[in-house]
Amino acid sequence: MTEYIVAFVTGLTTGGLSCLAVQGGLLASSLASQVEQDVRESGNPHKARVAQPILWFLLAKLIAYTILGFMLGWLGSVLQLNPITRAVLQIAIGIFMVGQALRMLNVHPIFRYFNIEPPKFITRFIRRKAKNGSGVVTPLFMGALTVLIPCGITQVMMASAITTGNAVTGALLMFSFILGTSPIFFIVAYFTTRLGEKLEKYFMRFVAVVVLVLGLITVNTGLNLMGSPLAFGNLVSAVTGPRVVQAQSPADTSPAAALSDTSPVCTLQANGNNGSGCGSAAAGGCPMMSGGNRSAVGSAITAPSTVTQAPTAIPVVEEQAQELVIQVENNGYSPEVTHALAGVPTRLVLVSNNVRSCSLAFVIPSLNVQVLLEPTGSHTIEIPAQQAGTRIPFSCSMGMYTGVIIFDK
Amino acid sequence: MKITYTIPDMHCGNCAMRLEALEDELQGVTAVDASYHKQQMVVDFNPEIITESEIKAAIARKGYSVGE
Repeated sequence: MTEYIVAFVTGLTTGGLSCLAVQGGLLASSLASQVEQDVRESGNPHKARVAQPILWFLLAKLIAYTILGFMLGWLGSVLQLNPITRAVLQIAIGIFMVGQALRMLNVHPIFRYFNIEPPKFITRFIRRKAKNGSGVVTPLFMGALTVLIPCGITQVMMASAITTGNAVTGALLMFSFILGTSPIFFIVAYFTTRLGEKLEKYFMRFVAVVVLVLGLITVNTGLNLMGSPLAFGNLVSAVTGPRVVQAQSPADTSPAAALSDTSPVCTLQANGNNGSGCGSAAAGGCPMMSGGNRSAVGSAITAPSTVTQAPTAIPVVEEQAQELVIQVENNGYSPEVTHALAGVPTRLVLVSNNVRSCSLAFVIPSLNVQVLLEPTGSHTIEIPAQQAGTRIPFSCSMGMYTGVIIFDK
Repeated sequence: MKITYTIPDMHCGNCAMRLEALEDELQGVTAVDASYHKQQMVVDFNPEIITESEIKAAIARKGYSVGE
């Protein structure tokens, strides 16, 4: 739901203005004949009679882009994007957005190439159609044709629709975005199409700055999704030191327990029979485990940022498993940083309780794990034994909420 | 006859589209190929029907200046 709201707000703010700059002329052209007719018949060129064709135009545009979103989402599902591919795409989208913003700010001519120009025969076709028609058909036709000349922000949203990897989600994403762009389009077109040019001049800088910020956030979420140490949060942690929650056994009285955070949500315990099985997307298989009795002792260490899932050559202690419980909340995961024992298979239990945010879409990119959690319930993911020093970052599928499991000796 | 103008004011793809509309609006202009990327427009015209200064004036009426 969050992504639809974000898409709607993006449309309502930056998207509306950006689209208007590109497609406003098209709308004006399709209205021209209607206005001309009104002037001839009643001498009253504006108001009620112009509102209707604008609405037809916007309706056709909404339908056309929703279908486009459906197709793009379907394309994404055919491509079967794994978390890493998704992250790469997200970073590419972010770079594209930053490029668009720098283009709008006219920083350097090279950034003009971030704007994709439609082929000449398409623009020529649209222009001539816009000039010749009238009534309901032309605005409908023109509205639908706007899919051929998407503005920069729309192009970004189209790329996002691909990353959803789902036709319906892609359609809803584009629907939300285009619906968001509609009020600005209607208001401006209704009062005067000339305002489009003024908006272009005066507000493009504002739009550019917003897009720049959104672009940087998108790049960062992509980096989060990859578990990259270059992600903003990880850079901050590197400077200020991470907020560490120490894994512990409930009965642990070791010094390590004293180091732990006040929220005792992460438990590490001897356990071999209460898992609910492998997460459907969990990589690395589902190692057979039986009960063990080793209690956890960890220490706050700074681990190198290497991620591995290869269980080979790791001193796996037979017949032992540890359990980590992570609470899935509306605003992220708790704990965000947790420690686990190296060399022991881990049963990661994700517990959600009436959660409605995108934190339910849980991914572990390095293990190729993608799980859509229930709003209330628990889900278990089996993680093979890891080497000491291994960091396994996890996040929501958008890379907004993040966390990491650090494996210690 | 073909002539290339530099249009430094183009700030999006729509500008190129608007300038290309001149091929329908000006008698004697057979084709206009405007590029936002290159900030240029190539005008194919018949000098016996329309002059260069008339084309430049039409460009100016659309709100664009012609660079050197």
